Amino acid sequence: MVVGDVTTGTDVLVIGAGPGGYVAAIRAGQLGLDVTLVERDAYGGTCLNYGCIPSKALISATDVAHDAGDAEEMGIYADPAVDLQRMVEWKDGVVDQLTGGVEKLCKASGVNLVEGRAEFAGEHTARIVHGGEGQGSETIEFEHAVVSTGSRPIEVPGFEFDGEQILSSREALALDAVPASMVVVGAGYIGMELSTVYQKLGCDVTVVEMLDDVLPGYEDDVARVVRERAEALGVDFHFGQAADSWEEAGDGITVRTEDEDGEIAEFGAEKCLVAVGRQPVTDTLNLEAVGLEPNEDGFLETDHEARTDVEHVFAVGDVAGEPMLAHTASAEGEVAAEVVAGEPAALDHQAIPAAVFTDPEIGTVGMTEDEAAEAGFDPVVGQFPLRANGRALTLDERDGFVRVVGDDDSGFLLGAQVVAPEASELIAELALAVEMGAQLEDVAATIHTHPTLSEAVGEACANALGEAIHTLNR
Amino acid sequence: MVREFKLPDVGEGVAEGELLEWHVEPGDTVSEDQVVADVETDKAVVDVPSPVNGTVRELLAEPGDVVPVGEVIITFDVEGEAPTGASGSQAAEPRDGGEASAESEQDATDSASGDGQGGRVFAAPSARRLARELGVNIAAVDGSGPGGRVTESDVRAAAESDDASDDGTDDGKQLKSAVSRIDDGEGGDGKSSVGDGLKSAVSRVDDGDTEASPSEATGGAVEAASRDRTLAAPATRQVADDLGVDIDDVPTDEVRDGQAFVDEAAVREYTEAQQRAQEADAEALADDAGETETAAGGEASETVDAAEGDRREPYAGMRRTIGEAMQRSKFTAPHVTHHEKVDATALVETREKLKARAEERGVKLTYMPFVMKAVVAALDEHPVLNTQLDEDSEEIVFKSDRNVGVATATDAGLMVPVVDDVDEKGLLQLASETNELVAKARDRSIARAEMQGGTFTITNFGAIGGEYATPIVNYPETAILGLGTIEERPVAVDGEVVARDVLPLSLSVDHRVVDGADAARFVETLKEYLEDPTLLLLE
Repeated sequence: MVVGDVTTGTDVLVIGAGPGGYVAAIRAGQLGLDVTLVERDAYGGTCLNYGCIPSKALISATDVAHDAGDAEEMGIYADPAVDLQRMVEWKDGVVDQLTGGVEKLCKASGVNLVEGRAEFAGEHTARIVHGGEGQGSETIEFEHAVVSTGSRPIEVPGFEFDGEQILSSREALALDAVPASMVVVGAGYIGMELSTVYQKLGCDVTVVEMLDDVLPGYEDDVARVVRERAEALGVDFHFGQAADSWEEAGDGITVRTEDEDGEIAEFGAEKCLVAVGRQPVTDTLNLEAVGLEPNEDGFLETDHEARTDVEHVFAVGDVAGEPMLAHTASAEGEVAAEVVAGEPAALDHQAIPAAVFTDPEIGTVGMTEDEAAEAGFDPVVGQFPLRANGRALTLDERDGFVRVVGDDDSGFLLGAQVVAPEASELIAELALAVEMGAQLEDVAATIHTHPTLSEAVGEACANALGEAIHTLNR
Repeated sequence: MVREFKLPDVGEGVAEGELLEWHVEPGDTVSEDQVVADVETDKAVVDVPSPVNGTVRELLAEPGDVVPVGEVIITFDVEGEAPTGASGSQAAEPRDGGEASAESEQDATDSASGDGQGGRVFAAPSARRLARELGVNIAAVDGSGPGGRVTESDVRAAAESDDASDDGTDDGKQLKSAVSRIDDGEGGDGKSSVGDGLKSAVSRVDDGDTEASPSEATGGAVEAASRDRTLAAPATRQVADDLGVDIDDVPTDEVRDGQAFVDEAAVREYTEAQQRAQEADAEALADDAGETETAAGGEASETVDAAEGDRREPYAGMRRTIGEAMQRSKFTAPHVTHHEKVDATALVETREKLKARAEERGVKLTYMPFVMKAVVAALDEHPVLNTQLDEDSEEIVFKSDRNVGVATATDAGLMVPVVDDVDEKGLLQLASETNELVAKARDRSIARAEMQGGTFTITNFGAIGGEYATPIVNYPETAILGLGTIEERPVAVDGEVVARDVLPLSLSVDHRVVDGADAARFVETLKEYLEDPTLLLLE
């Protein structure tokens, strides 16, 4: 101990106040535990500050502008002007309101908030390192710890983020002017969401991707709808291209890529956004002091109770591995807190929904047809195209579909893939159905409001049963 | 791809089946739904269909083997899918040597441990949470909800049955649950889909040395094992119950998934050893008392000597099931049989009259539907004969249904198809349903469900010949009516001896529930209806 240190004791030390950490802290507080939550940057973590919330705020704002300017078919003629700085301020207001809310909720639940970076100093002690020199430090003795330090964007060698020309998603969400052109490295969900945003704002976006399509991990027809829409908006895709290097060129930069055959291509732009994935933050924690070691991918491995190899240390959220989703983090945070409090909690969710806020959105939950077959089910698929849905047409949206995967033997709903406006919302009904062990018939026989997109959900299930009304049955 | 086929759950409570015959050999091409084997469960012979188009790869059981439900009995190479490097020798070259075979092994392990279908458990989060609270492994709970969904009550039931058989330690929770699940199934709790958990609990990892039992090693008294927990198939537990043996006391060297595993042979052997030991004790006492009599003739072994030329058949399958059911009924329910004869002249005439009409409608009309209608009419007046004794709750359950079982002699033994709601059906419908069910029983295509739910049974031994008999109650029902042959017999009418058609009746009842007077009154009512079938028109 350093002379002058302050030592405090706590039941639960939560490291990181993102959607995993703050939820763990609040739940632990609700359960009567003494909780200390340490955050080095901003309450709400990446999700609220640099990820989900700001990106969705900008996507929504951008859509307003784009849709208004692209509604001539509906008889609307407008040429919206976008003040990106104002838009970002509005977005920041949304973020501030949410992060403030998190702080208040934590306090209301009796959580001790500590600003600084926590690193382990022993099996039951952590030191809080405050930013800057001369701010001293303090030691916290804990019974249990919940590591929720999240993740950070992966840098491509040679493309170190500088916030000026080479941007991470975080910086791309905070620009105060729309660049004239942008090269986006990576066509995963972050790359696709931001490409769409900037293309809609009038930026010429070029996407370079190492693989041969957008959105790896999604089925071809799902990815295709999104790619084709982006192409229609003007996004220029170059697949099979690995980002190699960049150099300044005039007012902007030139990004050089290399394909499999060693062919070099060059793309000029004002800025470059690198969005090739995220990596867990474990290097700031001095993990060895508590007896932990990340696996080869950098993640802390956990069991069904979110517990690491060290009995009293838990890990939740991105740091605990895929899927790196905010709602997964929150679910894990709740479980960790409940387990610490002696509750019979476990991570036994049957399916985790995921959403991508591209245009159109993607919502998925549970198994695809192939995954169901691989798992030993006898999959039956039902699909409903958006163009057959009245509400979709009134939204001037025709691209996309709702697809459900069930088990032919038992009728259980196993999964769903939705590509549609509001797919992120539509997937909730299907997630509930999968989680509850509902059958296709249960969803098909549930009355869906008319005229809504959700009718497509019911119809897709009916289609799987050969009973769809508004489309030909399989 | 290799597709494994597990012995399916063929009905509630069925935990195992005897493989009677293979219809295919390795290398044979099969199409989906083609019957590949016959399996006899304790109730019926079921066809095992191929689930795929493909080629038979391996047969994993021999005719005569008793296979637990859920055990893989045959594997197929599926058409259009390349064989993988599993266990077969004809498999294509693994793409990546060791890794490929390791994956296959992993697949096999997964399926054997119930982790198929991605470990998916169909249950609401609330049910899963309850399972955690109650310490129940939900993956091993049978679901009674739609499609087999596990409900909160299923979880509670599993917890209760766990409590009954478990000392509360966490180890082996899954196995214990799996086994208790089988018990649940035996108890007839509805939809028992004895699944993968069961298989891991009772699958025969090693069929080897069951005869090298401890009792033979010591040759006499066997010490009770007094374990806390024992794995065994439900049929084995039933045998132990019947023999009055605590299954935890049965010595065994066999282990399944780390738990002691007892099979039926071990139970019987232990019982016999205990009996021999008791007799030895008795003899020793007698010797001590100065008796000179030796043990000659004192050997109470149940082993039956067989002389040359004698033939032995296994006491197994349906024969054993029937035997055990009879034994249970006879030794559980004190039987009393009431005999009576009925002047069936009017019944014979009525049936003669209606028979031709029925035939015109394509229905063969026997006496049985008349008797069934008369029985349900009499049951309305004497409901105590339409009961079951719930021994657990110590309650007599007066059944609202009038579901009549018709005992049917088949080549394989006695089966009892049940005609539901006899009170709601007309003669022709009863005739045609009964004929159909009896035919299905005889050709053994009857489903288990068609032999369940009975509330009263009729046995027609008279169809073969005979006057009176002592029917054994179809336990847990409390009454059974036996019909003799309708024949002309001398009857005194108004002081004159005349020839009349006479139907002899033998009614056995469970005397715990039904008194002799009740039985006699019931038969008197029945007699009225049978002597004057027109009364049935009022029903």
